[in-house]
Amino acid sequence: MIRNRRGEVAVAYLLILPFVLTYGVLFLWPTLQMVYLSFTDAPLIGAGNWIGLENYIEMFDDRRFWTAVRNTAYFVALTVIPNTLIGLGIAMMVSRLKGWQQSIILAMFFLPYILPVSVVYRIWNWMFNLQFGIMQYPLTAIFGEPTAVFRTQWMFMPAVAFVTIWWTCGFNILLFLSGLRSISSDIYEAAALDNANRWTIFRRITWPLIWPVTALVLTIQLILQLKIFDQVYLFVQGGRPDPSMVMVQYIYSQAFQKNEGGYAAAISVALFIIVIVFSVLQFQFLRARGEK
Amino acid sequence: MKNLFKIAMVSTALLSVGAAQAQENVVWWDFLSGGDGVRMKALIEQFNTEHAGEITIQPTTLEWGTPFYTKVQTSAAIGEGPDVMTYHLSRVPLGVESGALAEISAEDLASVGLGADTFAPANWEAGQSEGAQYAVPFDIHSIILYYNKDKLAEAGLLGEDGLPMGLDGADNFMAALEKLKPNSEYPLSVQTSGDGTPWRVFYSLFNQQDGVFLGEDGTFFPDESIPKAVQAVETMASWVEAGLAPALTEYEGSVALFTSGQSALHLNGVWEVPTMTDLAAKDELGFEWGAVMIPTFFDHPATWADSHGFAIPNNVGKEMTAEKKAAVLEVISWMNKNSLAWANAGHIPAYSPTRDSEEFKTMQPNATYSILADTAVFDPKSTLAGVASPVYDAVANYIAPAMNGEMEAQDAIDEMKADLQDQAE
Repeated sequence: MIRNRRGEVAVAYLLILPFVLTYGVLFLWPTLQMVYLSFTDAPLIGAGNWIGLENYIEMFDDRRFWTAVRNTAYFVALTVIPNTLIGLGIAMMVSRLKGWQQSIILAMFFLPYILPVSVVYRIWNWMFNLQFGIMQYPLTAIFGEPTAVFRTQWMFMPAVAFVTIWWTCGFNILLFLSGLRSISSDIYEAAALDNANRWTIFRRITWPLIWPVTALVLTIQLILQLKIFDQVYLFVQGGRPDPSMVMVQYIYSQAFQKNEGGYAAAISVALFIIVIVFSVLQFQFLRARGEK
Repeated sequence: MKNLFKIAMVSTALLSVGAAQAQENVVWWDFLSGGDGVRMKALIEQFNTEHAGEITIQPTTLEWGTPFYTKVQTSAAIGEGPDVMTYHLSRVPLGVESGALAEISAEDLASVGLGADTFAPANWEAGQSEGAQYAVPFDIHSIILYYNKDKLAEAGLLGEDGLPMGLDGADNFMAALEKLKPNSEYPLSVQTSGDGTPWRVFYSLFNQQDGVFLGEDGTFFPDESIPKAVQAVETMASWVEAGLAPALTEYEGSVALFTSGQSALHLNGVWEVPTMTDLAAKDELGFEWGAVMIPTFFDHPATWADSHGFAIPNNVGKEMTAEKKAAVLEVISWMNKNSLAWANAGHIPAYSPTRDSEEFKTMQPNATYSILADTAVFDPKSTLAGVASPVYDAVANYIAPAMNGEMEAQDAIDEMKADLQDQAE
């Protein structure tokens, strides 16, 4: 049969057109506009004048910008790897269960993930409440007195990271569980016949075979946590916003509180570049490790 | 058939034009929820009843603070804003700079009997930016000192007139708190975390020493004002340090400490008056309460104040018709002339004839503390100042920690100055 190649190409284009259009209009165009905006002194609404690199020069001199970068990096360090390891650990324990027991335990771990962030904030703000919070029992045991966790500077980020891990690790567990299920039981049986101990089985079989999932989880986590905003914004209400300011929060405050649309766009571009660079670097690094 | 359809269309159009001439709809946005909101809704209903067939207010209540002001700005930019809205006068500079507000001419205001002579001068000017009027004041709200009569009487601090005595002067105030210590967990309940009350108390104490927050050359805390600011912060910190006021306490907690009878004194806004009135009416307060103007800690009386006012958004590409404008002006004027009902929410009416009326002079506790209007100091005129502004954030970042002893007062003011100066450039 003679194929009509041009016709096929036309059909192919026609089929991807809806996606390309949506992607172009809803993502590509706004992104380009944002980059353009970052070179202007535009307010939140309306156009501004072209001022070249001024926003970027200002940014490098801006103490609060660097605080935001540092805090974002700190938060990433506190969450990405711990969240992944805890997810893997729980998934391995859950995978030992069978049938309905597994379903119930899995549901329990997954439940927090379906909660909206405002509810998570309410729950934990109450748990840590200085007067009535249940967490004050262990805190009092450790520090000798009730502690306002979200009002104590050095505790703030670790506490928010802890809440974030509690909230989001259900999804990682799910990903790891499906990864663990795809490892053939034949391999484990063979290892058992060779008298391999548990640690060896984990190190030689589970860990290498689950690696692609681990790499995926790490990358998703990294991108997600670089964009941290909601939890920090909510938990800092009524406290000191500056010392724990993260990048997206700084963008919000510049754009909506100070009416500096152009400068906010410049910070957004900086965050955009950081996200791209780090996720590409990390993915390459992880892939390289996986191939070894 | 086609013609018939046309006739029907035209007649419908004509009819609706006729209706529009007879009745003007005024779209209204406010940020008043809670006790304020209930009273405002009653006022709006009364207005609509009195103006049946002429003007109807269509009210919508939005989220207070940054969400409200962001929505106003974005909707005005595309001509989708309301016809009239409530606005904090402290926020006028930023509103004007971001192009969200339309100027209201003196002639327009005079046409409904409003002008500089019907408001307190400082209050009227707070609605201006560079000489042009952008907002009409509706009330003056400030901070006051709530007190527990029973506890004050026990400590011998209640005068024969039922008002507190011996609280003026920073040292006397401290001594009074010490006297109240035996019968209160915290003699003074005040918010000590975040913005809000810390700003209001600080700005009052600072102005009682004639401090300048923002110099005419754009300098925050000009040199000679720095010691005054430090003095104000140190005074506030001394209450917490001596265990006479609670540390790290948020707004709601500070109210609860007073209403539950654990504190003898409470520094907070007039808007909490309905809370006390309602609790007392339900017999749930358990003690006699009162409220007075805040004490004079330093050289002379001065109290932070802000105003709710009315403003017209600068709806881009949507010219307001003369009829609509007349209706909006009528709304603004009517609200001011009926602001006695608003005083129930604790506020002091901005409209001088209402403030001078017999009815207001007998309204308690408003009448007792309304003298503060004469010495009220409004927020600095800057795009960085006003409700939910960078100045508020700076208070949460520097002054609140200094109140809790996490930072030296001197460092707090130095850093706050540097921070604001940095943001102004």
